[in-house]
Amino acid sequence: MPYMQTRISKRLCDNMPTIEVNYEDLLSLVGKHIPLDELREKAILYAKGEIEAVDGVNLKIDIKDTNRPDLWSAEGIAREIAGRYGKPGLPEYRVGKSNIVVNVDPKVNKIRPLIVCAVVRNLKINDDILSQMIQLQEKISLTFGRNRKEVAIGVYDMRRIKPPVKYTTVKPNGIKFVPLEFKQKMTPREILKKHPKGKEFRHLLEGCPEYPILIDSAGEVLSLPPIINSNYTGKVTRKTRDVFVECTGFDFRFLVPALNAIVSPLADRGGRLESVENIYPGKKMVTPDLRPKKTRVHIDYMNRLSGLNLKIRDVCRLLEKARYKAKPKGKVVDLLYPAYRQDIMHERDVVEDVLISYGYDKIEPIVPRLATIGKQSEIEAFSESAADMMIGLGNQEILSYTLTSKKNLFDRMNLPESPVVEIENIISSNWCVFRNSLLPGVLEFLSRNKNREYPQRIFEIGDIILLDEREETKTRDVRKLAFVLSNTTIGYEEVSSMLDALLSNLGLKYSLKQSNHPSFIKGRAASIIVSGKEIGVIGEIHPLVLSRWNLEKPVAGFELNLQQIFEKLKK
Amino acid sequence: MYRLTEEGKRYLRDGLPETNLANFLKAPLPIKEAREKIKNFNIALLWAKKNNWVKIEKGKLILLKEPTKTAAQEGLEMVSRAEELGDEILNLLLKRKLIEKETGIVTEAKKMIGKEITNLTPELIKTGLWKRVRLKPYNVTAKGIKIYPGKRQPYNHFLFLVRRKLVELGFREMTGPMIESEFWNFDALYQAQDHPSRDWAQTYTLKHPKHGKLPKPRIVSQVKATHENGWKTGSTGWGYKWDPKKASQLMPRAHGTACSARQLAKGVEIPGKYFAIKRCFRPDVIDATHGVEFNQVEGIVIDPSLTFKNLLGILKQFAIEFTGTKKVKFSSGYFPFTEPSAELYVKHPKMGWIESGGAGIFRPELTEPLGIDIPVIAWGLGIDRLAMIKLDIKDIRELFSKNLKWLREMPVI
Repeated sequence: MPYMQTRISKRLCDNMPTIEVNYEDLLSLVGKHIPLDELREKAILYAKGEIEAVDGVNLKIDIKDTNRPDLWSAEGIAREIAGRYGKPGLPEYRVGKSNIVVNVDPKVNKIRPLIVCAVVRNLKINDDILSQMIQLQEKISLTFGRNRKEVAIGVYDMRRIKPPVKYTTVKPNGIKFVPLEFKQKMTPREILKKHPKGKEFRHLLEGCPEYPILIDSAGEVLSLPPIINSNYTGKVTRKTRDVFVECTGFDFRFLVPALNAIVSPLADRGGRLESVENIYPGKKMVTPDLRPKKTRVHIDYMNRLSGLNLKIRDVCRLLEKARYKAKPKGKVVDLLYPAYRQDIMHERDVVEDVLISYGYDKIEPIVPRLATIGKQSEIEAFSESAADMMIGLGNQEILSYTLTSKKNLFDRMNLPESPVVEIENIISSNWCVFRNSLLPGVLEFLSRNKNREYPQRIFEIGDIILLDEREETKTRDVRKLAFVLSNTTIGYEEVSSMLDALLSNLGLKYSLKQSNHPSFIKGRAASIIVSGKEIGVIGEIHPLVLSRWNLEKPVAGFELNLQQIFEKLKK
Repeated sequence: MYRLTEEGKRYLRDGLPETNLANFLKAPLPIKEAREKIKNFNIALLWAKKNNWVKIEKGKLILLKEPTKTAAQEGLEMVSRAEELGDEILNLLLKRKLIEKETGIVTEAKKMIGKEITNLTPELIKTGLWKRVRLKPYNVTAKGIKIYPGKRQPYNHFLFLVRRKLVELGFREMTGPMIESEFWNFDALYQAQDHPSRDWAQTYTLKHPKHGKLPKPRIVSQVKATHENGWKTGSTGWGYKWDPKKASQLMPRAHGTACSARQLAKGVEIPGKYFAIKRCFRPDVIDATHGVEFNQVEGIVIDPSLTFKNLLGILKQFAIEFTGTKKVKFSSGYFPFTEPSAELYVKHPKMGWIESGGAGIFRPELTEPLGIDIPVIAWGLGIDRLAMIKLDIKDIRELFSKNLKWLREMPVI
């Protein structure tokens, strides 16, 4: 599994959100004092968090769940901790009616068809609330919202909006408003061209004849989704008391949980939730819907999977700590859970919540006693033998990347370009195709070590990728071995002896046949033939190739298809 | 110059045969008996008669006089001391093949007698003349010229040791292609095609080739149904329309779990333990901790009896086997395809708690469409991190070092 790659090395989940939280604010939300050590060692684990850094009262916390946007704020973390620190049970959210209507114009259908909204009143906004709200909005739209593609979020000062609100479209030059953090009025086209957010997200509206716009009954613009809010309506400050929240996108499956995840923290802070009527042609949708959701878990399933021997009342108690409402019924527990959670799809998901409440540190690790026979893959075992032989012959092994460039594979090798596996979303011109030969890699290695002592004798064993229409993946991995020798003077017979030592000790009969290969000097290259099939090439590298690699000393070497050799010997 | 032949050396050591014979005869002795008692009897008799020491009468040997030291005896001793011989005795010994002419090299070696020499030669050893020369002392504390042996690449060697350890622990190695279909990379792992969880990591896409083939229709339809409505797994499913075209898209393998999914579909032994050490690719910004290409070590354990306790047990066993520490702790984790999940931390004497691996029980939405309805524990190790600690490397790129000096000087571990 990918994640296993840890802090400073490759992470499992590259998109794992890191959030900043004020320690004192977090404790006041939990309603209990927790020493920092205890928070780090125990409490934060309930919210699947890990404290990455502490700077005064500022905590940097990694939340190790990319599918739980409800955890990505101080309020969300506090809910999980509070459940285990004296406040178990289902958090309840009352949603009043605001009677505010948002009319959705069918014109948005082809551009960004869906919107869901909510109102939160009576907020006492301070810096903590404000920073958490902004951070949560950013994290949700970045990770869960796929960088605003699936979910873009807007929060507005309700007092500056005159309902009903309309979600419609405008021509790129069809309206002017002052975007957030700017002073002058701009058209949507100008915003996309000049505003930093416009430049960052304009690709989301690429090719659209009109742009989505959210506008109130007085003609005041709320925002240009998914790009930017208006500076007038869309600026939330410490003075704001009531806010209007909207999420736009393409699929209610993402928009509804995102909206719930944004507004429930505001309710946790004492805000009063009110619903909004989103009127679609022929359909009305009232949001937010924070009625708890239902599921159930079987006690036998729980115990079989966990290896624990829990009584039904234990399960109920542990789930109440995880903020469920649990009602035992025979061997089943009927459950209600908060609407902000969208990750529960299977009984299995409930099992983990029980285990987290129980505490991983209290569960005894037991090594399974299973009688199995270990076995290395055959090609790996064969590669080991070949490597041992090359080492016995005094050669240094190297390891290089599979990804390389066409320049290395073709131009520098004096070869005509041929089809290879190519990357589409290239991030560096050094890594845009997969190697179809090992020789360029070993030559590149030599070129980086011109100031090291000679002779240099190196080899690499690794996979290359060939295109193959017959294969399921249209490609085939082929295990190869490449060897090169470089010194002030070298002889063809030196590499030829190396080849002979290797192949004869692998028990292989072979012959050499003079051949022409553009990477080698004419008359100094040969095909290596086994049972009438070419399994490799040997020769002295062409000076043209040497100069293209900036090499100044002669090089000779060979490349072998270990895969073919292995298959031949297996017969 | 002359030296003793093998026969000459023997006589010098054991005495001349004629002398031995004469010494042996106290009373008349039948020839037959003497032949049995005396070595080289014919030679002994010939020379004893010539010296007038014995005579034969009625088949018996009779001593005429006590033997005296002969010229031949004297000659052998002189040659052994490398002294010059007179012509007469020289010819006698040559005739009896007790001495021979020395080669030039031996002559040269003899010139060394009494001198201080540097090189001990085969001639000095053979002739024993080493006893009569002085061997010059060397500066034994000086270091020799640097030589570079053939060696494994250190990181590759580390991976080899990991592989061997896993085999010792009863794991079987899995295989799978570097270029994978999205089906095996994502869909079979129950990551919805349109869901943000598919974006848990950046992945590469291919310009060429674009699409591959999907596996057996039965597996495809079960995966499709599970995504759309949960099929018969007891799950709600993701609730969207699954697109086979998207699943057939090819991409460089983003994680080794693709191999595990293939193995489950191919069929597994029960109980079964499998692992893979595989090159994976992700378009990260390259820095000291991120490479676009890296290795993942991961695998699966399959048995009807497995529980979460076993999951922690497997992780703890890995900690002991791969890091040598029993100081471990666990935390919850999240992997899109496992539930419940755990992460492993091990205590490093200097660096503190290090995240070293993770594991989870594969979701039923993953295993059941592939035909497995018993628990499958999936695990992974932070192998690059462990390698960096072991090789004392600060920059992940050095695992694929292009520095020959470093490779040559790095001790084999």
